[in-house]
Amino acid sequence: MRRRLLWRSVWSWIVLAPLLLVTLLPFAVMLSTALKPHDEVIAFPPRWLPTHLDWQNFVDMWSAVDFGTGLWNSLVVSLGGTVLTLAVSIPAAYAMSRIMFRGKDTYGQFLLITQMLSPILLVLGLFRMAASIHIGDATLVDTRLAVTIIYAAFQLAFAVWMLASYFTTIPAELEEAAWIDGAGRAQAMLRIFMPLAVPAIAVTGIVTFVACWNEFPVALTMLRDPARLTLPLKVVNLVAGRYSVEWNQVMAATLLATVPVAVVFAALQRYLVQGLTLGAVK
Amino acid sequence: MSAAVGGSRRRAIPLAPWLLILPSLVLALVIIGYPFFEILRLSVSNVSRFGLVRGSAGLSNFATIFGDPIFQNALLRTGTWTFGVVAGTLLASVPVALVLRQPFYGRGLARTIIMLPWAISLAMAAIVWLWSFNADYGMINATLRELGLMQGSVQWMARAETAFPMEIAVGMIVSIPFTVTILLGGLSSIPGDIYEAAAIDGARPWHCFWRLTLPMLGPFINIAVVLNVIHVFNSFPIIWVMTQGGPDNSTHILVTYLYELSFRLGRPGQAAAVSLAMLVIVFGFTALYMRLRNKDPVA
Repeated sequence: MRRRLLWRSVWSWIVLAPLLLVTLLPFAVMLSTALKPHDEVIAFPPRWLPTHLDWQNFVDMWSAVDFGTGLWNSLVVSLGGTVLTLAVSIPAAYAMSRIMFRGKDTYGQFLLITQMLSPILLVLGLFRMAASIHIGDATLVDTRLAVTIIYAAFQLAFAVWMLASYFTTIPAELEEAAWIDGAGRAQAMLRIFMPLAVPAIAVTGIVTFVACWNEFPVALTMLRDPARLTLPLKVVNLVAGRYSVEWNQVMAATLLATVPVAVVFAALQRYLVQGLTLGAVK
Repeated sequence: MSAAVGGSRRRAIPLAPWLLILPSLVLALVIIGYPFFEILRLSVSNVSRFGLVRGSAGLSNFATIFGDPIFQNALLRTGTWTFGVVAGTLLASVPVALVLRQPFYGRGLARTIIMLPWAISLAMAAIVWLWSFNADYGMINATLRELGLMQGSVQWMARAETAFPMEIAVGMIVSIPFTVTILLGGLSSIPGDIYEAAAIDGARPWHCFWRLTLPMLGPFINIAVVLNVIHVFNSFPIIWVMTQGGPDNSTHILVTYLYELSFRLGRPGQAAAVSLAMLVIVFGFTALYMRLRNKDPVA
């Protein structure tokens, strides 16, 4: 039995090896280049291993990319987008999972359609909408607020879908018992239901946050001022249309921008998979 | 379960569910609805390069677009791009999901690694791949040379013949995690005892795969295909970052050309026409998705 498992492990890893290699390659490249001194990055032929680790790249990158500003902007739009998404999705998902009402199916189909629409298809309209809304003597173009609202609008369908499929697994009997004990429906929702729903909300929040954190086309369209650019834009601007690119700094920046998110995501991957398949099988 | 509870409550508080869904409905209707009608309007208008509407244009924007060879090529290339990425992703994901379903040493680690690209921004991934494919200093050429598979350097991104297939490959790698997830969900819904029954009847593993696993997985494969098609069709960052549709417009797909028409070439009316053409295609697939969903209770 043990031998069989060992044997199976060997061929499983062999089958997965090509995919694992190409998946890990970008991480290896990031790490290798980010830690190389500049002259080794442009040495021919290039080598995987640097002769010594050059941590100075991260320091230089921080000011070259203006990483702090990008980080702050990414945090603002991602947290803002997540909070707004959850604020509108939690009540909707509660209604979808707990209450029968006319138009429920229509609303569900409407959500499905919005999920099919990528913001890039509407990007021209979104830009013109932002340009037509005036705040003081400026418009919503080049504001983090516009990006935040657009993120929420395009994330909410997925959030409602995922939350609702989790919510249906929380037994309604608990709330019903609270009604019998004299609690109002709203009170039962807040005191009994919400504490049980926290894990589902956390997982959905993290997925939404990661989606906003990684978003590129909307930010590219809406944001112009270097003081408001998000991290992906800051990094892409170091590469796009540049004659000479400081690749060791660029790789240090991508490493720092992606690895923390990837680690959190990988750690939570089991719960995400659960939630997704719950949603898919519903 | 909730049907019985809700049924009796419906008459008591008919407004409550609508109040609960109202904020999300308003947000989606305004932020998605307004731009949609704006695009509809622009597509039949004569629009200056600064976005001023100068009257009606009838269907001339559409005529211009459909006569534009860059658009025609981008349309065909979008077909290749979408089909290539989705078919490749599926072909790779089915065996991966089958392997990941059974217990083996280090399964958790393997699964975590395979899921990693999911969490990475496509723009960032594209930058890393762009650097890896660098002709002189990229690690892909360097490694191929070191393994003796090639001499000299391939200028991967300089020509569409090499750049575009590599962009498709990158598209596949980033689509695999989601697809494997859906398929794993499907596999976990197949009861184990049908395999025992098949084994007793003398079925070979190969037969089990074709006659049992694949048909049972069918609805999940359908959903994965439709969702991937829509997603890949709309995917912008990989091609935009790696080649910007170039060299000489030879790697444009519809989304990158749409962006260029809107914000670089200053042809908003035609951009709106491209948007609308793409919306029609996406809605076609959405309709297909809805039909699959309704027909198949598991999906």
